[in-house]
Amino acid sequence: MTDRKTIKEICAQFKEIIAEPGLKIQRLQAEKPAPVIGFLPTDVPEELIHASGAYPFGLVAYDGLWVNRADAHLQTWACSLARCSFGMSLAGKFDYLNGLIIPHICDTTRMISDIWKQNRPYDFMENFILPRQVDRPSARSYLTGELGRLKARLEQFTGRSINGEKLNRSINLYNKHRALLRKLYQLHGHHPDLITNLDLFNAIKSSMLIPKGLHNTMVSELISAVEQQAREKQAEDNHGRVRVVVTGKVWEPPDIMEILDQSKVVCVADDLCTGYRYIANDAAEDGDPLETLAVRQINRPPSPCFVNREQDRLEYLTRKVNECGAKGVIFLHLKFCETENYDYPLLRDALSAANIPSVRVETEIGNMSQGQISTRIQAFAEMLGGGDIYGS
Amino acid sequence: MAVSQSFKTAGLLKELMAKYYEQGNLAREQGLPVVWVTAVSPVELVYAAGLFPYYPENFGALAAARKVADKISLAAEARGFFSDLCGYARCGLGDAYAKEHPVGKIVPPDLLFSCNTQCGSLQKWFETAARMYRAPYFLLDAPLIEAPTTRLIKNYFVEQLEEAINFFEVATRTPFNFDRLAEVLALANEACRLWNEILDMAALKPAPFGFFDACFHMAPIVTWRGTKEAVMYYRELKKELEDRLDKKIYAVPGERFKIYWDHIPVWPKLRWFSELFAEHGALVAVSQYTHSWAYQFDLDRPLESMAENYSEGFSNRCFEDRINLKTSFMKKYQVDGFVLFSNRSCKPTAFGLYDKRSIISERTGLPGIVFEADMSDLRYFSDEQVRDKFTVFFEQLAAK
Ligand code: SF4
Repeated sequence: MTDRKTIKEICAQFKEIIAEPGLKIQRLQAEKPAPVIGFLPTDVPEELIHASGAYPFGLVAYDGLWVNRADAHLQTWACSLARCSFGMSLAGKFDYLNGLIIPHICDTTRMISDIWKQNRPYDFMENFILPRQVDRPSARSYLTGELGRLKARLEQFTGRSINGEKLNRSINLYNKHRALLRKLYQLHGHHPDLITNLDLFNAIKSSMLIPKGLHNTMVSELISAVEQQAREKQAEDNHGRVRVVVTGKVWEPPDIMEILDQSKVVCVADDLCTGYRYIANDAAEDGDPLETLAVRQINRPPSPCFVNREQDRLEYLTRKVNECGAKGVIFLHLKFCETENYDYPLLRDALSAANIPSVRVETEIGNMSQGQISTRIQAFAEMLGGGDIYGS
Repeated sequence: MAVSQSFKTAGLLKELMAKYYEQGNLAREQGLPVVWVTAVSPVELVYAAGLFPYYPENFGALAAARKVADKISLAAEARGFFSDLCGYARCGLGDAYAKEHPVGKIVPPDLLFSCNTQCGSLQKWFETAARMYRAPYFLLDAPLIEAPTTRLIKNYFVEQLEEAINFFEVATRTPFNFDRLAEVLALANEACRLWNEILDMAALKPAPFGFFDACFHMAPIVTWRGTKEAVMYYRELKKELEDRLDKKIYAVPGERFKIYWDHIPVWPKLRWFSELFAEHGALVAVSQYTHSWAYQFDLDRPLESMAENYSEGFSNRCFEDRINLKTSFMKKYQVDGFVLFSNRSCKPTAFGLYDKRSIISERTGLPGIVFEADMSDLRYFSDEQVRDKFTVFFEQLAAK
């Protein structure tokens, strides 16, 4: 079947999309005009943006060059993720955006929204003011109301009403999308030689930059290509690989995934905003769509940004490690990300009490020492004993 | 804090605070739950439930004022908490691990009740402490208010207050007493009224009282709010201030300028700053920080009015609201300049100040500066840099 794209080709496409984040969406916009509405990662109801007819667009740290551009407006002890996106915006790198939605998940996001509005406003600037506890019934009713507010604002801006039917269609599309990516994730766990960490995470990130329908087609193709190759190949080339769980906010800068790949470390589960947290769970397709979106948000995997004593992160992480047969945990932390900082010591201790080794890696966008991190990860992989996990 | 030691009430304050800590120990002994609470949170519920409210932030401020915050913090840092977390939190967490307790031992919680109107750091700190001490934790969640506040947010807050009441009922195994709440709220109203009348005296020129004094005398409005003790204390203080006015005793002899100071003091440098200002004949007259305790509750609709008072704290307001709040203080106290403190511990008060400085100067025509430091940790303080900044500032003032 020579007309089928190969794994390499599709993965290269994902990579290209990320390398020029706004390119595809601008082309599409030229063909089929509609506003482009950006969002910061990733606790936002993208389905609502989609149902309003706008193009959703995820702002991650695409270019570390611009981090310092934010310095005149934001202290350097804000995390580099916020500084980078904002810096890029100030530098005019996101001028194709018509709007931006900032989810309030921490003090930085809570404060940056108004600073942004002040200095580089897009036509549509909205906060998504999430409840920061997801334990109690009040969170659900408030969140449903907040989703209603955001919906009304989107309707006002786009001039299009978002009825239940439209929203349910969007939810359906997003559910399909998440299911496909979860499938891909699973395949990656089984065949890390065919689909690397970087391939997998690029697939997830690139989906924030182009319409989901389009992306679904690419992921479906990729899945069949991987499945076919897996059937055809003689033996697994998994020698020396070791399975780990990665926990943190985002996998930035992207070099980190290359380092994992080079060190033969396979990420089999994670709770990153731009990783599994983005695709972990779906919204129900029957019932009041705003309520189902609220429930989806509340039931996302535990994150340090939301108080969730019902499903504490300590217990969640330990369970994940065991479920996935991982050998250890990598804490992937952005410098100055305080929500992660608070959780870290007790998480580390809880893991070590459960005999799960862990290592903490701190990254900073625009300022990262590749060599040091690489050495750390390699040492950790060696300590975990390398390849015996996939059998010899 | 030598600043206000000459006040007669300073002795009373000392007694009152000793009594407060004593009550904490007593509660321990009697098996009464100790509830960790945050400064801007409806402590009235805790008093009404008959529980003892303990303020770990106060512990942090005390350690900072005694210049040992960085030392206590090291014990937390050795455990893997990072030096860029809120200084109070590092002190609170650090003391639990530390071998030495230069400001006494932090009292462990039986329950934790935090409100994130102030910041997300308190939310995280208390959550971490709840895990450490394995104690039940309640977060009273305050979504950011973008003026005007909405029904949605108010309802959410009221619903949570009801959930909080339930939380305390479960802990005490007693039904919540709303009559008792009304009494507590009335006492809080009275103390807040007195406190704000006292703060207002700083608008007189010359004034008998300023921000640095307020930092010293604010402990009871935080910790004893809702009790007779706070009311009694501020009556005494007010009397003393009136007496000082009669006797023409002023906070800064030869007062020439009045200054607005944004937010919290640099605790370990309180003296240093108050002398620096005094040298230039400047009185720091007002700060939104000390004015945070200006609650007025409507006893006919207690929960709703608690929701209004506690969700609408300054640090939970949008950019424009916060500028307006600052400039209205500047106007009311007729200040000649303003100082914005970019406090490394406190992102929600610091982020945005760079832009606010220029906007406020534009709108008011007043000179102003932003300076960098930490409220409690001297490792982030550079004498020289701060002094240079202020030298320029005082020159601008003098040139006005
Ligand atoms: S959660 Fe961390 S990474 Fe995300 S915006 Fe806040 S500080 Fe930055």
